[in-house]
Order: sequence, then structure tokens, then C-alpha cells
Amino acid sequence: MKDAIQLRKLILTAGFILLFLLSGLDFYHSRHLKEPVVVGEGIAEVKRLSDYFPGIKGSINDAQVYLLRNDQAEVEGGSALILGGSHAEEPAGRLATWVIVENAKVTAGRVFVILTANPSASTATRLGGAYPPDYTIETPWGERKFRQGDRWSNPLDQWPDPEVYIHYPSRQQLAYMDIRNQNRTWPGRRSGTMTEQTCYAMTQMIIKEKIDLVIDLHEAELQYPVISTIVAHPKGEDLAALASMMISAEEDFDIGVEYSPEALRGLSHREIGDHTPAIPLLLETPEPFLDATRGRTDRELLLTGKDDFVMKAGKHGLLFEKLDESGWPIDVRVGRHLSSLIQIFRVWTELYPERQIKIENVPHYSEVIATGTGFYLKDPSKAPAERIFYE
Amino acid sequence: MSTLITILYYLMVGYFAACFIWNFRKSRNWQQEVLYLLVLLPFLLRLFRLK
Amino acid sequence: MSPTLSAIIILIVMVLAYVLAKVFKVSTELSLFLAAVAGALVGGYGLPVRHLAEGAITYLDICLIFLTATLFMNLLKAAGGVAFAVRSILKKFHGQKFILFLLLVLLLLIPGALTGAGSVTVLITGSLVAVVLKYTGLSDLRVAAIIFLIAGLSAAAPPVSLWAMLTAAGINMPYVGFFLPLLLPCLIGSLLTIFILGWKAKPVNLEKALEEIPSPPEKMSWWRLLLPFLVFLALVIAGRVFPFNFPILGLPLIFALSAGVTVASSPVKINVWKTSLQTAEQLLPLVGTLTCVGILVQIMTLTGVRGLISVSVVTLPVAAVIASLFLTLPFSEAVLMWGAAPVLGVPLALLFNTRGLDPVVALAGMSLIWPLGDALPPTAIIGRLTVDTVGVKENYSKFLKACLVPAIIIALMGTLMVIFSKKLSFLTIF
Repeated sequence: MKDAIQLRKLILTAGFILLFLLSGLDFYHSRHLKEPVVVGEGIAEVKRLSDYFPGIKGSINDAQVYLLRNDQAEVEGGSALILGGSHAEEPAGRLATWVIVENAKVTAGRVFVILTANPSASTATRLGGAYPPDYTIETPWGERKFRQGDRWSNPLDQWPDPEVYIHYPSRQQLAYMDIRNQNRTWPGRRSGTMTEQTCYAMTQMIIKEKIDLVIDLHEAELQYPVISTIVAHPKGEDLAALASMMISAEEDFDIGVEYSPEALRGLSHREIGDHTPAIPLLLETPEPFLDATRGRTDRELLLTGKDDFVMKAGKHGLLFEKLDESGWPIDVRVGRHLSSLIQIFRVWTELYPERQIKIENVPHYSEVIATGTGFYLKDPSKAPAERIFYE
Repeated sequence: MSTLITILYYLMVGYFAACFIWNFRKSRNWQQEVLYLLVLLPFLLRLFRLK
Repeated sequence: MSPTLSAIIILIVMVLAYVLAKVFKVSTELSLFLAAVAGALVGGYGLPVRHLAEGAITYLDICLIFLTATLFMNLLKAAGGVAFAVRSILKKFHGQKFILFLLLVLLLLIPGALTGAGSVTVLITGSLVAVVLKYTGLSDLRVAAIIFLIAGLSAAAPPVSLWAMLTAAGINMPYVGFFLPLLLPCLIGSLLTIFILGWKAKPVNLEKALEEIPSPPEKMSWWRLLLPFLVFLALVIAGRVFPFNFPILGLPLIFALSAGVTVASSPVKINVWKTSLQTAEQLLPLVGTLTCVGILVQIMTLTGVRGLISVSVVTLPVAAVIASLFLTLPFSEAVLMWGAAPVLGVPLALLFNTRGLDPVVALAGMSLIWPLGDALPPTAIIGRLTVDTVGVKENYSKFLKACLVPAIIIALMGTLMVIFSKKLSFLTIF
């Protein structure tokens, strides 16, 4: 009898070790998946957030900052910052910044680009969310693999959470896990948690580099009212409204404008405007993968945005954006972000000629749809080593 | 200070994992044994900084 | 095969696997696990180790809160603190039912309100209050019902209401304006519960009661008893008052530190390792359920079953949705526990928002109804915990029956809050 129990325990333990090792290795590999970036000719320098706030040096969130600058430019112009991956689970924002860093050039002004504004969040997937660990984008030369990521920083990098998160400096009470949500921790806190310090470092960068315009790229579930829109701080109302008009007139899609509510604290479109001289805008594209009513959660849903259940919710008037059989493919979402950026810079340059920012070689919405996002991603195996960086 | 607190959390996780392993060894009920191992899984994944 | 049909088949297989496991006398926790594995298999995912493990770790922090809070209480019990407190309360208020009940309600509301977990209320003050109530002549069933229902309301009470927080976070709504919409109904509900179920309570026969309660160690005193609670309270308050100067300790560490103070101030030597092993054993069903529910939610999400359930609920006519909240919310809680907030709460809150209701008051109303499900199978975690803590010997269904009248009143209050949310929006001032 005793031997039988021992044997049973041995078998159970062996099964447990197998489960532990297989799952553990899977988590380890996806956390350490390296994403290559083949920087284009327009990139003059690659900095790190710790250049602006040394307190973040050595942390996983010491994100890389890619600087588009043209030293031969006749006009000095203004400066902009584009943020991808504030919420790593929203891939269109990250991919749009990838396309920019690998292709774009500026002829006036400077554009700082952060591909993964919360690197820690890109190394985890949402608990209970059944996310795939990664996804691949087809290119003319093969595939590029990207980490899926989560909304919140990885608890392996920031633990524990408080029992309630009190936002700095407003003291507004927020859900406890939002202390790891980078779009709830602006303007950041010098002595705060890693996520707060990341925002603090970016705020310092905005101030020290005299950045005029910050554009934070996001995606939203279709049941969320703030979608397919530019969310603007009051300082950027004219800019956003004009950009929205330009996009509707010149691109093949419409985008709305919303104004940043004063009661909603910790968000980039509110706090950057309140705490720095810069004008913050936040762009949202639709991502059905994030909807609570979504069906099978897999890479296909992430990249095609096709889902019968979310569509059913739409038929009952529960969505704030249309969803039909064509879904919301990743190329549509990336294309919307890129065209929005192009038009925002155009309007900016018209409104503030003395701080002009001119960017070129960025594909428009229609081009991304025609060729696919992967067309604009370079082959790391053919690139010189000094032009390859890893996120 | 926050590093120290995080270390204390890993110690806590290790301590309770040890309790589960100890009780698993003493248990004579197969269902309880399986449950101890299931419960142990998240504790070890965190302790070894895998998840 | 259409996604709907596929999800329906997977759901049926999961339910069948669960029922079959129960028929073969498998525990609720393992039945949930087996249902998840069956769902993954029939969904074509084989044995998805990544998803099983990711689901298992979903509620790790909540498990840590339960473990440390219970260890704290068990150490306090071992030190003789619980017996001391019960004797003292009885000696002072045995003749004044009204004041006694008010004090007991406060004692029950505080731990859950601070932690967001009804089980913490049951574990920390529930056992203590149960002893006092039993000496007023109330049956074990009524005592368990009082403690369970008020523990549920304490979890919904501000400042920390996890259902409201998780749902608010899911729709990117700040957790602001919830204080009064949560506090007032929780207070009213708790008082109604204790006075309805306890109206037959008699003044305590002090001498007889004191004879039955074990005597605490001689050196036990109020300061030895209160010191760990004061440390707990001081650390929580410090985190709230000085959030930018005080380190983030998190509830598990605060409980662990309070447990440390309990050991240090105990008049008798306590075997901490032995108490820890007992705590781990005592909490195995609770922690096991949380782990298995995490796995189940993950697999339901993976296979589209979660989406099927969510979309089926939110596409019903609004009037039907509101009228059935008293069923859908407790049932979702019974299956998913806090997972019910992201799965059902988020689409419901969005539905109410699009239909012009006040999302804060409506969500507060829903938060009132959710905890009622903690007594229902398959999980019935808090219900089972309460019944064990109180030492109820009768059938579990009798306990459920005892809860019925106040539960209906609470569900009605919650539903009315949803219906009249717009008119009650003046409550959302902070």
C-alpha cells in the first residue's frame, strides 16, 4: 500500500515536472524573443531613455529611442515624439513605428520614435486572456516575428501591486493593476515604480529635447466608445480637428476627434499636455481581438480582426465602430496610423511653420493596403550589423 | 526599498511553495495530491521568474 | 463549422466533463480542471501547457492574500487572541442587542472593504463574530448566513471593490465616484441582514457562555490582541495617506507583517511552521479553486466559449438583461469568481452605457449582486468557507435557504440601482 502511494506520487511528480518545464520554457522563450529593427537611412542616432533619466538605467524599460534627423536640412524646425507599444498588446501602433524607423526620412525638424514604450509589457501576455505568445508578419523576403505583449507591465519586472493605485500627482484612485499600465502613469514619478519611472523618463525627454508634439499610437476594442479617433489635449484641439478633416479629404478613411477629459488622469493625452510644453495626441484604431465578446483567441483574429461574435454584438448596436465580414486587418490598422501621422505633421507644419516637421518615405494607408505592412520591413540578414537593433 | 519588498515576495512564494510540497509528501489522498501540484505550479513559475 | 456551433459543442463537452467528474466523486476543483482540459482537447488545442500554466497563475496574488491573511488569523488564534476578544465583547455588550449588532456589522465590514475579499472577512472577523452570535441563541445556519452575506457586502464595499475595479479597468473607466454608491447599499444591506436573520436573538447568558469559551493565556491583553491589527491598519492607511512617500507593500506583505507582530507579541510560544502547514491544508480547496478557475477562464477564452457566453448575454433585450441580473451575476460569480467581472461585467457595463444608464451607479448595483454567487456551486468558495468556519453541521442546501430572504433584498437593491442609475448619479461625487 505504502509503495503504491509512493509510486503514484512519483508518477504525479514526473507529470508535474514535465508541465512545469514545458510551460516554463515556453514563457522564457517568448519573454526573450528578440525583435530585429533594421534602421533606415533617416535614423541619425539611437538613444536610450536613461540618457534623460539615469534612474531607469539597467531596467528592462530603458527603452531605445530612435531619432530621425537630417543634418543637411535648411530649416531647424520643431520636434515630435511618436510612441508605439505604450500598450504592447495593440500591435498596429508598434508596427507603424517599425515602418517609420526602417523607412522614413525627415527634411525638417526631428522625430523621436519609441517602438516599445513599455518593453516590460511586451514580454508578457494577459493572464486569462489566452493570447498567442507572438505573431508573424509576411514580407517579400520571409517572415518577421513579434512578441504579442500585454496591456500591463510584466509582474516579473514590477511586483507587488498596491491594494489601490493612487495616481501621481492627482491622487485619483485607480484599479490596483493600473499601476503597471503605462497609459495611466503619466506624467510619471522619479521615485515611483518602474512603469511610473518610464513615464517620468519620457516626460524628462519631452522637456529636455523641447519636443512640441507627442503622438501616442493605440488600438481599442470596438465596444469602447473612444475608437477610430484622435484624442486631443485642449492645446491640440485645432491641430486634431484640422488633421481629421485632411484625413477624411485625402485618405480613404474617416477619423473622429475627441477631447481629453479632465477627470481621466494618468493618460498621455491629458498629463503630457498638463505637465510639459508639448501637445499630446492619442490615436486609436479598432482591434476586435481586444473585445470581451470575441470568439476563438488566436493569431488569425489578431491579424485579420474578423470575429463572428463581435459582429453579432455590432448587429445589436453594441459597437462604436462597424465590423463586417472583412474584419479589421492589421494592414488597415497600420495604414490608418501611418496616414494619420503624415497628415498630422502636414497640418502641424502649416499651423506652426517656424517649428515645421516634414517627414517623407512613409507609406500612406492605400499603399499599405495594396502592398501589406511586411513590404516595408527590411531583411535583417541582408543589412549591415551596425544598422540592426533589437527590441 | 522596492527591491527588498520584491525579494520578500519571492521569499513568501518560496515559503508557501515549501508548505505545499511538504503537505503533498504527507498526503494520502490522490485528489488532494493532484490539487497540491496544480496549486504549486504558479508558485514555482513565479519563484523561478518564468511567469 | 460556424464559430457559434463550434463554441456550443466545446461548451457542452466542458459541462459534460464537469458533470461526469462530479458523478465519479471528483472534487469541484479538479472537476473544473478536467472541464478545462476537455474543452482544450475538443477545441483542437491538444494539451496546451502554456495556456494551462498561464491560467493557473491568473489569481496568484489573490491566493497570496488568502494565504497570508489566514496565516495571520491562525497565528492569532494560536496566541489566544480570538478567545480573549470574544470573552471581552460578550462581557461588555451581552445585554445590548442593538449596539452589539452594530459593532458586529462594523467588525465584519472592515476587513472585506479594505481588501476586496469576502473570504478575508470570514477568516479574520467571521469566526470571532460567529462565536458571539451563537451565544445569542441563533442557529448555526442563521449565523453562517449572516456572516456570509455581510462578508459578501464587505467585499463590494468601498474603498476596494474588485468587481467594480476590474470592470471599470476593462472599459477604461476610472475607479472614481464609486464610494457612496457602494457604501450606502452595503451598509443598509448589512444592517437589514443582521436584523432580519437575528431578530430572534436573545440576550446572552453570560455565565454559561463564558464557561464554554476557552480561557485565553493569562498574559493575553488588549494591546497584545490589537497590536497586529493596528500594524495592519497603520500600514494600509500609510499607503493611502502618503502614497508617494510610503513604499508599496501590497496586501500579502501587510498581512505577513501583521502575522509577524502576532508571533512577536504572543504570550505563548507558537509553532509557526506547523501553523503554516495547517493553513496551507485548510486553504487548499480555496487556492485550488482559484487556480482551476483561472485555467478554466483561460481555456474558455482560447476556445471562444467565453465570447459565446458574453455575446449571448449582452444581445438579450436590455429589460431582460436587467431583470435577469439576479440570476446571471451570481451564476457567473459561482463559475468564474472575479473572472465574472471581465467576462460578463465588461460587456454589461458597456451595454448599460450605450443605453444611457449611469455606468458608475449601475456597476455599483451589479457589484452588490455578484458576491451572492459566492455561496453557489460549483465553486461556492466563500459559502463553504463560512460554513466550515462557523461549524455548520446541517446540509449545505439548508444554509442556502437561510440566506434567501436577505439575498433577495440585496439583489433587489442592486437591480433597482441599475434601473434608477441615472437618477442616483448624484451619489457619484467621490
